[in-house]
Amino acid sequence: MIVNRLIEKAMRKAQGAQASLEQSESTDVSFENDKLKSVKSSQSTRMGVKVILDGKIGLSHTTDSDDVDGVVARALEAAEFGSPAHFRFPGPQDGPDVKVFDDAVLSVTKEKMVRIGEEMIGLVKEYKSDILLSAGVDKSAGRSQFANSAGTEYTTEATAFGVWVNGQLIRGTDILWAGHGFGWKKREIDHVEIAENAIELFKMAENIAPIRSGIMPVIFAPQGVNVLLLALTLGFNGKNVFLGSSPIAGKLGEKIADERFSITDNPLLDYAIASGKYDGEGVPHCTTPLIEQGVAKNFLYDLDTAGRSGTKTTGNGVDCHPTTLVIKEGDTPYEEMVKNIREGLIVHDVLGLGQGNPISGEFSVNVLLGYKIENGEVVGRVKDVMLAGNTYEAIKNISAIGDKAEWAGGSLLTPPIGIAKLSVVTK
Amino acid sequence: MRERMEKALRKSNAEYTEIRIENVASSWANFRGEELDKIGSSRTLGGIVRALVKGGWGYATFNDLDAIEDRVKEACESARLVGKEQSKLAEVEPVVDEITATLEKDFRQVSLSEKKSVIEQYNKIILGYNDKIETSNVGYRDSFRKVWYWNSEGTFIKDERPDVGVVISATAREGDNVQQGFESHAGSSGFQIIEGLGKKAEAAAKRAVDLLSAPPVTGGEYTVIMNPKLAGVFAHEAFGHLSESDFVYENERMKELMVLGKCLGSNILNIIDDGTIPGLRGTHKYDDEGVKTRKNYLIKDGILAGRLHSRETAAKMGEQPTGNARAIGYQYQPIVRMTNTYIDKGDATFQDMIRDVGLGLYAIDMVGGQTSMEMFTFSAAYGYMVRDGKIAELVRDVVLTGNVFQILMNIDKMGDTVECPPAGGGCGKGGQSPLPVGFGGPHVRIQNVVVGGR
Repeated sequence: MIVNRLIEKAMRKAQGAQASLEQSESTDVSFENDKLKSVKSSQSTRMGVKVILDGKIGLSHTTDSDDVDGVVARALEAAEFGSPAHFRFPGPQDGPDVKVFDDAVLSVTKEKMVRIGEEMIGLVKEYKSDILLSAGVDKSAGRSQFANSAGTEYTTEATAFGVWVNGQLIRGTDILWAGHGFGWKKREIDHVEIAENAIELFKMAENIAPIRSGIMPVIFAPQGVNVLLLALTLGFNGKNVFLGSSPIAGKLGEKIADERFSITDNPLLDYAIASGKYDGEGVPHCTTPLIEQGVAKNFLYDLDTAGRSGTKTTGNGVDCHPTTLVIKEGDTPYEEMVKNIREGLIVHDVLGLGQGNPISGEFSVNVLLGYKIENGEVVGRVKDVMLAGNTYEAIKNISAIGDKAEWAGGSLLTPPIGIAKLSVVTK
Repeated sequence: MRERMEKALRKSNAEYTEIRIENVASSWANFRGEELDKIGSSRTLGGIVRALVKGGWGYATFNDLDAIEDRVKEACESARLVGKEQSKLAEVEPVVDEITATLEKDFRQVSLSEKKSVIEQYNKIILGYNDKIETSNVGYRDSFRKVWYWNSEGTFIKDERPDVGVVISATAREGDNVQQGFESHAGSSGFQIIEGLGKKAEAAAKRAVDLLSAPPVTGGEYTVIMNPKLAGVFAHEAFGHLSESDFVYENERMKELMVLGKCLGSNILNIIDDGTIPGLRGTHKYDDEGVKTRKNYLIKDGILAGRLHSRETAAKMGEQPTGNARAIGYQYQPIVRMTNTYIDKGDATFQDMIRDVGLGLYAIDMVGGQTSMEMFTFSAAYGYMVRDGKIAELVRDVVLTGNVFQILMNIDKMGDTVECPPAGGGCGKGGQSPLPVGFGGPHVRIQNVVVGGR
């Protein structure tokens, strides 16, 4: 295998080495302005090398398969000036069973992918013909090899499939965007349901409902929960904790959220985008509770950050990023969450997330797709509305959690979450 | 390589075909807190074939250059599957040209250890600023991109596109209150532009510490004065994206909304996109379809005067190509993008702008922006309240939002000096991010802007 050759070359000088080779083929069918616009096929190859030389780390990568000597030489050069290593490459360990490959993806033809897109566009057009649609269907299959100088060595084959549809409806200068999509490692996606979800969002948006500025209850639909999660993914990142920039550093064991709120990093869900046996450093994946019944439980670590922090990796290498986040279901049906609100807002999609100072928990976003609740009923969508708050305050202030979790994109599985009070600003 | 690619191009049976190959050498180093977090370098070699048949596009991207003829065939097959109408591409004179980058100090000749020591110095300035500084994030990166472009009309361009930059960020903390100060500096003219930036590192540290005691701005409607850097982001986000023709050319409603000659802003507003300004990050001689870049007025005296095109959108709208088809790299097809976008100067001094403001906001620099065409939101790094014609207290968490079509009408004063800051970062669209762009403007005053906050 190429990875063994890379390790062998690196170990002539280095005391430790890790190498990876990723190869994939993908196809992407794209619709714009109601029409099939393009079909794209991609072949990719990428080699990466990480070395430890005299206690210091060096990295390099390349997409040129003739660059085997070059990529090793550059990693060794970088290590001369590199950051000190606080870890050793892990030896072979058995990873948990998780499904990441589906034969059915391989046999999907370009023609079939075109038909899926056409059907979704047709369904939304049937509901309202002046919605202008874009859509995409993509598939990929790849093979990755990984090895390190401690004897860890594995090869993984994985597939992926994804489908989305997005519509735009213009009335005068009013531009409404709504859409839905999903991707995972399995062929099985009901594209009709995806189109129906998109239609439902447009139906609820037929009227524009006026809203006043003030403090009011807000329900984050699964797609909107990201607004709350951005601060948590930064805050639970072990590197930010180590550096002291996370506001929850030092708060493990403390109650930081409503006791109904539990969130877990789970890389073991079959076929999820981020799932797999091992992380990027050859460490077996495992589930890691971040918040359990409102109490902060664990931060996420990779090998080096864990070494610096005097703890163990959680298999979130490289860079302590989460894999798939799963928020525990509550006990309130969604309909009831809406019914219990006299005046409030449902948030599906926002503009401007992550600008400003997200690690502090502060958010201030424009509601791109949101709906007004009046007397327990959805009366229409809102416009020109800013929503502001702080994640760490909001999760202490949860009014209800929905009893059914849904995928929001490919890496978050969450029920809708109601927050008792948030600030809404409008003209 | 040239012979091999030209031979592969001749194998195509599409109406139009092009091949773009890129060879990129890049390096990076990053400090987080006391320690170096990452250092390394990489090489990327890859390409894309684009084929057009009956108005349908087929693309094939690859790392393995040996299989180029198969990739051409694949792109043609894909295009054939898509195409159902008539192909339209605006006429462009074929060119053969080789562009050599001139670097004052060539970063390819600078050792990794020197790159590291430059940012180490900035990192020390931040960490030593005072005891409220909790941590830092100081990064260096460079890339030298060689691009070869061939199309079936006879164009061959060899281009060199260097880019080098640093990002400097300081984090200050007091209990649960965590604040950041941020500076960036990037450009194409060589390593020297990121040397000697100790003042910027100090400014980032000072701002992070100062923001600890600054209150969040109170949400509401204000008279807002934007500084040049923020005005540049405003031009890009709030209006620039609307002028990208791929959002318009097959969209009847959008065509009505964006008809040339329509009044979209106050009569002191001029917005320009210009890919020819030397030294700015959005500057290239040719775009990624081999079309010469140029200066394009988007808004002139408040009137919609032009828009940005690829060859396809230009032909389909019966307008001239503008040299705005850009791709972030070999894995992507070119799409309509901005180059360097700025608001042109007016005649107001800064004093003219604040003199008659009872309660307002002076919003400074930016940390990001996003648009949905009609709605935009962008975040200033910090701001000062303006009270009774004077600059007052520092405020944080300044997010401006609004409706483009309303806000452009509300511009009532235009500053008398344009600045195009050498900032880093870039623009994202269609999954292609970050694309280097330039932006700038004078101070700009706008009435009745919604500012988010609690």
